[in-house]
Amino acid sequence: MNSIMYDTYTIFWRELKRYKKSRSGVLIRLIQPAIWIIVVGNIFSETQPLIQSVGFEGEYIEFMAPGVIILTAIFTSIFGGVNTLWDRRYGFMNKALTSPISRSAIALGKMAAISLIAALQASLIIGIALAIGVTFPNPLMIIPIMGIVILFSLGFSGISVSLAATAKSQETFWGMINLLGMPLFMLSPALFPLELLPNWLAVIAKLNPVTYTVLLVRELMTGVSEGGVPIWISIAVLFGFVLAMVAVTSYVFTREVNKPF
Amino acid sequence: MPEGIELLYSIETTSLTKSFGDLVAVNDVSFSVQKGEIFGFLGPNGAGKSTTMMIFTTLLKPTSGKALIAGFDVMKDAKHVRENIGFVQQETTVDEYLTGRENLLLQAKLNHIPKNEINKRIDEVLELIELSDKQHQAVVTYSGGMRKRLDIAGGLLHHPKVLFLDEPTVGLDIQTRRKIWQYIKKIHIEFDMTIFLTTHYMEEADNLCDRIGIIDGGKIQVIDSPQNMKNALGNEIISLVVENNDNHDLFLAELNKIEFIKKINEEDLKLILFTSNGTEVIPKIFQISSDLGIKIVTLSLTQPTLDDVFISYTGHEIRDDKSKFNRKIEHAKMKRLRA
Repeated sequence: MNSIMYDTYTIFWRELKRYKKSRSGVLIRLIQPAIWIIVVGNIFSETQPLIQSVGFEGEYIEFMAPGVIILTAIFTSIFGGVNTLWDRRYGFMNKALTSPISRSAIALGKMAAISLIAALQASLIIGIALAIGVTFPNPLMIIPIMGIVILFSLGFSGISVSLAATAKSQETFWGMINLLGMPLFMLSPALFPLELLPNWLAVIAKLNPVTYTVLLVRELMTGVSEGGVPIWISIAVLFGFVLAMVAVTSYVFTREVNKPF
Repeated sequence: MPEGIELLYSIETTSLTKSFGDLVAVNDVSFSVQKGEIFGFLGPNGAGKSTTMMIFTTLLKPTSGKALIAGFDVMKDAKHVRENIGFVQQETTVDEYLTGRENLLLQAKLNHIPKNEINKRIDEVLELIELSDKQHQAVVTYSGGMRKRLDIAGGLLHHPKVLFLDEPTVGLDIQTRRKIWQYIKKIHIEFDMTIFLTTHYMEEADNLCDRIGIIDGGKIQVIDSPQNMKNALGNEIISLVVENNDNHDLFLAELNKIEFIKKINEEDLKLILFTSNGTEVIPKIFQISSDLGIKIVTLSLTQPTLDDVFISYTGHEIRDDKSKFNRKIEHAKMKRLRA
């Protein structure tokens, strides 16, 4: 156990080192969520009555800001696994695979690094939100919110790492990512309240872990409980999701990297 | 493996076979590498060298047969194998964005070198490969040869019992190649490691290896020291080109009677005579040819090289694309990738 922690940290360290050296990406990756919050947040500002009808008193932009924080986390973490493919192509993976570290530790180290990077990106988006006038009733809530973002990204990065380990080519990987990323974001209360979804869509949305994460962050940020989901259920779903993804990713990754690339 | 028992062989393999579908990349290969030896696997692209090495380094599972590395079974005890090997891949795998030292630090951590040893070991290998002064520069600024040296250093850090080098000098210019050979020799002496390398450069195998296995078409054709291999062909080679003549067959028959000639290879009008006493043979050749009225166009006397050895065992040159077989294997591999 001790050694798997050490090995996970080794890979985590390496991923962050690489991230630090390619910092220009940070700003580029901020553009998309920034556009969402600035453009969409303002275009839909007239939808306030809709939001009010489900008991949310604030501005639309305040309603959707938690959604954009999670959007940042989703996309940073779902893209994050792509370097797994490069590692296999350029030999780092074989180097790691012929050393005594465990396969699971490689996957977990990558997930941990991606999750920290996603949290960093999300915190920048929180900064942008604050700058354009979104207010926090209780600024201390930023601590649990960051905790949730880290946990959620840890789980979500598992999807990315598993897909990258399974996909043999960049094309397959990006295809799968596009197939998953946007629908998971759209089928959540990130932009509009759960209550406004038609029933059949609401059922699908309730199977989506993104939904519970958005609800949690929204509740912490605005103090409004929305969607009729008790907070403990959201927390339980989030933890369940993370544990399941850690287990699934370890398994899938170990199985896939043992096959010839 | 019980402590205290000295292993005689660092690599022992019996009937090792690896097939991809119905194609056999490694075919019933058995051999042993002694502790402390530099052993070279020589063969053209697609001969099965890399596949064999991937089995030894636990990256591929053999279809059948057995391989013991440093006494551990690659199938049953992969973890112990990994603890005892260093693997330097054909392509350079150092991280461009990290500095030389950071790359070695990563390698040290991957191989569980105790914390208090790490810095000492890194300094030691940096000195060995003469990169101490460049250690804090990003690898992106290194030349190809420097990257390769850094990669080799990474494979040494944890003092593995067996070091695997896959085509260590492929793609490097000749000066750099010689430099890398020097480092490999230095490593071998300083760390007393068994080194197993693959190469398709004759000169490299000749220069570095205590023993060589020639592999072609997934099978080992011969294993011996470079010197013995060359000696087996006689110590000199006479190549001659003659003009076409009705007496050609008779000429060959007469040449075969000369006692010093061990073997004759024939390509159209070019004859290659493997001989042990060339200077005495040459006048005899002239005698026979003038008796039969055969005109000799050119004649040369050379020392045999490993190239000649290779040809005499496989029937083709190493760079020949003798590749219906290879192409089929490559194709099968590609199909697996896409699947």
